[in-house]
Amino acid sequence: MSTWEGFLIALVKTVVIFGTVVQVAALMTLAERKFSAWMQYRIGPNRVGPFGLLQPLADGVKFIFKEELTPDGANKWLFRAAPILAALPAMMTIAVIPFTPDIVIGGRNFGSLAVADLDVGILYILALGGLAIYGVILGGWASNSKYSLMGSLRASAQMISYELTLILTILAVVVMSGSLNLREIVESQPTVGHWHIWTQPLAFVMFVVATFAETNRHPFDFSECEPELVGGFHTEYSAMKWAMFYIGEYSAMTMMACLTVVLFLGGWSVPFWESAPWFVCLAAFLAKTSVFLFLFLWVRWSLPRFRFDQLMRLGWKVFLPLALINLLVTGALVSLF
Amino acid sequence: MADALFYVMAVAAVLAALGVVLAKNPMQCVLSLLVSFFALAVIYLLAGFQFLAAAQILVYAGAIMVLFLFVIMLLNLGSPGTEDPTDVRMFSRANATLMVVVAAAILFVLALAIRRAGPMPVENSLPEGGLDPIPGLAGEMFGRYLLPFEAISVLLLATAVAVVVLAKRDRRANEESKA
Repeated sequence: MSTWEGFLIALVKTVVIFGTVVQVAALMTLAERKFSAWMQYRIGPNRVGPFGLLQPLADGVKFIFKEELTPDGANKWLFRAAPILAALPAMMTIAVIPFTPDIVIGGRNFGSLAVADLDVGILYILALGGLAIYGVILGGWASNSKYSLMGSLRASAQMISYELTLILTILAVVVMSGSLNLREIVESQPTVGHWHIWTQPLAFVMFVVATFAETNRHPFDFSECEPELVGGFHTEYSAMKWAMFYIGEYSAMTMMACLTVVLFLGGWSVPFWESAPWFVCLAAFLAKTSVFLFLFLWVRWSLPRFRFDQLMRLGWKVFLPLALINLLVTGALVSLF
Repeated sequence: MADALFYVMAVAAVLAALGVVLAKNPMQCVLSLLVSFFALAVIYLLAGFQFLAAAQILVYAGAIMVLFLFVIMLLNLGSPGTEDPTDVRMFSRANATLMVVVAAAILFVLALAIRRAGPMPVENSLPEGGLDPIPGLAGEMFGRYLLPFEAISVLLLATAVAVVVLAKRDRRANEESKA
């Protein structure tokens, strides 16, 4: 395989993965509205295209043509940079998610559908994923508005608290599979019986709850809590800058759903069909991811919002000790057997 | 290519570090520090230490800098015209001279120590795992260097405890002065 071929294959993979994530993020906004309508006995968007499927496109056009407002006394440079910083990390971290096993077409091996196969894949995700908070913090601070600042303050406290739980639960899985490489973590759970959701049920539950807090999703969306803070950190944002925060949020949700599948649900492994071809594996991966994306919506439209002190208590007094004990027990059991 | 990237990142790291001490606005200081950390992480990557680079960003950029920003926003520093007069006093001429003298002394001692130590034994300091960084690193850290590793964690713990004790005593004194 020549260098050019390798470059071309990598380019195709990058375009496919990146394009899909942006598409999913756009379609999730529609799914959210459709789903909330369904849960509240409404119809939801149904005017633009069949079943309202072109609604995200119409929204995008609207955002581009709306007037952009910058509040007085805002730090202009940071105010502009914040939406980019909010949208970028989720799109960068998706690069290490392996969606399929090695793709073999006509006897040729094109490698796994992943942009990069890093030995420190998990750390890469945690490191860059942790930077998503800067978009929220700097956006709120640069807006020069009390509501925005309060939203940012809450977001920073919340993110730091729940990142601990997130990292400790991921570490339990890493200890089980003995690797930081996401492909190897998937390969360590080849059949349904090996999925880490069975070996690490406690870590799974805490991880899923922590992903809600990390993506600022309901019931933990205190940084934009509309009854108290108008719109929280994005109160002062309008037009495409505002939309960037939303693209960031929905990409982060997609990314977290993919990560949950990789860590706990065997990634591309198909239940009861170990030697499935790569496209079946891809379908299985996407199906599992959709379940978690659906969970994000389901929870949002079913549960009331927490109180901020409850969130902090849950994070520091319940999840952190539990995650530490879980990691300790896991480590002890793995080293014994 | 790698060499060029190294020099770009090295210059960026030094300039950003200068920005940390020279910028007037605390927000700019923190953001400069962030840029400096990123440049350092890239340098680690160039040296082949993926783990160190990721840990650098995860710990410093992802957690510690967020705490810094949290404090700055909580105290609402950085709005123009609210400079604390005590900050200015810190940079009086006498103090500045003292700082330069102390910095020069530290630099002298460091240079002396590096000269005495001689060339670093590079071939022995790399883990035997070589290209597989994480098992190699873990093996070294929890094998040969277990004692220093534990000593550092005890030191950090002691620091955390000390901070809690100091902060607590301060509050009690306040309450006594009120009563």
